[in-house]
Amino acid sequence: MTPLLTVRGLHTYYGESHILHGVDFTLEAGQAMSLMGRNGMGKTTTLKSVLGLVAPRGGDVRFNGTDLSGLPTWKRMRQGIAYVPEGRGMFHNLSVKEHLQLAAREGVNGQQSWHYDRVLETFPRLAERLTNLGTQLSGGEQQMLAIGRALLTNPELLILDEATEGLAPLIRKEIWDVIAHIKDSGMSTLIVDKNIQVLKNLCDRHVVLVKGEVVFDGNTTDLLDNIDTVETHLSV
Amino acid sequence: MDFAIFLVQLLNGLQYGLLLFLIASGLTLVFGVMGILNLAHGSMYMVGAYLAWYFTLHTDSFLLGALLSAVIALALGIVIEKTLICRLYKRNHLDQVLLTIGMIFVFNALQSLLWGNDSLGVDVPELLSGSIQLTELVAYPVYRLFVAVLCLVLAAGLYLLINRTRLGMLIRAGESNREMVECLGIDINRLYTIVFGAGVMLAALAGVISAPIASIVPGMGEHVLITCFVVVVIGGMGSIKGAFVAALMVGIVDTFASVLFPAVSSMVVYILMAVILLIKPQGLFSN
Repeated sequence: MTPLLTVRGLHTYYGESHILHGVDFTLEAGQAMSLMGRNGMGKTTTLKSVLGLVAPRGGDVRFNGTDLSGLPTWKRMRQGIAYVPEGRGMFHNLSVKEHLQLAAREGVNGQQSWHYDRVLETFPRLAERLTNLGTQLSGGEQQMLAIGRALLTNPELLILDEATEGLAPLIRKEIWDVIAHIKDSGMSTLIVDKNIQVLKNLCDRHVVLVKGEVVFDGNTTDLLDNIDTVETHLSV
Repeated sequence: MDFAIFLVQLLNGLQYGLLLFLIASGLTLVFGVMGILNLAHGSMYMVGAYLAWYFTLHTDSFLLGALLSAVIALALGIVIEKTLICRLYKRNHLDQVLLTIGMIFVFNALQSLLWGNDSLGVDVPELLSGSIQLTELVAYPVYRLFVAVLCLVLAAGLYLLINRTRLGMLIRAGESNREMVECLGIDINRLYTIVFGAGVMLAALAGVISAPIASIVPGMGEHVLITCFVVVVIGGMGSIKGAFVAALMVGIVDTFASVLFPAVSSMVVYILMAVILLIKPQGLFSN
């Protein structure tokens, strides 16, 4: 079976600085994959290269067998990818309701399992804030809105970048619970984070980046077998 | 100044301000949504006025001429965006300035070639050619009131479009975070084409409706461009609401200045801009 996402030999530069040194990984449909690493190791750059937000100088990205290289970002997303960016990507001049309305569409195969009402059921706090502007929400609510907005595009793959960064422990738990629920519903997820304790239970596959190179790639059993090595890659 | 004259000047100021808003709205939208500083925006106003003259002459109907001009302006805007402006999105402001200044020269040369350099005029359409008696001695032309009302209707339409429709949501989202719009699987370039085309059409429409009350002369675009930049800067770059308030301010201040202090009137709007920028360096309604 074709993997859902295949990344091969990704080389990305910012100006002259070489950030990604041939990143490889694959993600099977239905899998939850973690992408871990310390700050500045290339996690976000990897995501941006996959989404076409930065142009890699080498390597290729395939989604469901389709070569994404050369496609603009919006066409890549239309293949069935949704993105919850670091910093949440709120629109300061759109209400909560408008954030959701703007994003809502059918998935690639016409699936509509995520719709407006289901998002509000999943995140009841958003329902109380429909007329507030995106930037008037608390950090946790913004994160919920960013996830709800992504889900409304009915994607096959949900990419989350630092979804719980800067949030209070209780809110973090709430967000992780929702992500676990999304994963259980069968949607593939790619989760960038530093929290190995949560990710080892949540994800099936784990990839660790150090200085733009993959230093670990394996399932949860492999991760637990090598937990000491992996933790040294993640600790500051 | 007696009350009737004050009223006439106030109406003139409002009407001029509303017309400025029509032009400035496109300038500020294109900057706010697309990040493009279009120096050739004034040329679109000129193109509108010349097209209105040309088509009114050949169709014998100002209304028909106005409609044809608006449609052609929209098409022109779309073509310009698709062929020239689209090359600017990933470039710096200097490249934008170079290209759009170049466009001013091209449009001026075309105007000179196609229509010559004489001052032209369009008659006020007969239906709107009367005047309304304000007091026994003072009357106000119906056409000027019509211009003000039409501009208000268009401004209200623009307000509804931006705040109540999906396209408006997209425009606001594009102003706020372009990358995120693309990440929702939305083709932002199509939005850019629509916004640029609409901006050109609004500027040209302002040229069309001012054709019967202004003389159609070479260089009319540059003059209006500078005033519109004053409006956009006072209102806050990219803010439609700001452009509306600032356009009325500039319109009224400029009109009264030329009555009260004719010697220095050309400076007054710039003084206004300087004072506002001292208090609010980002303009009145900047994001």
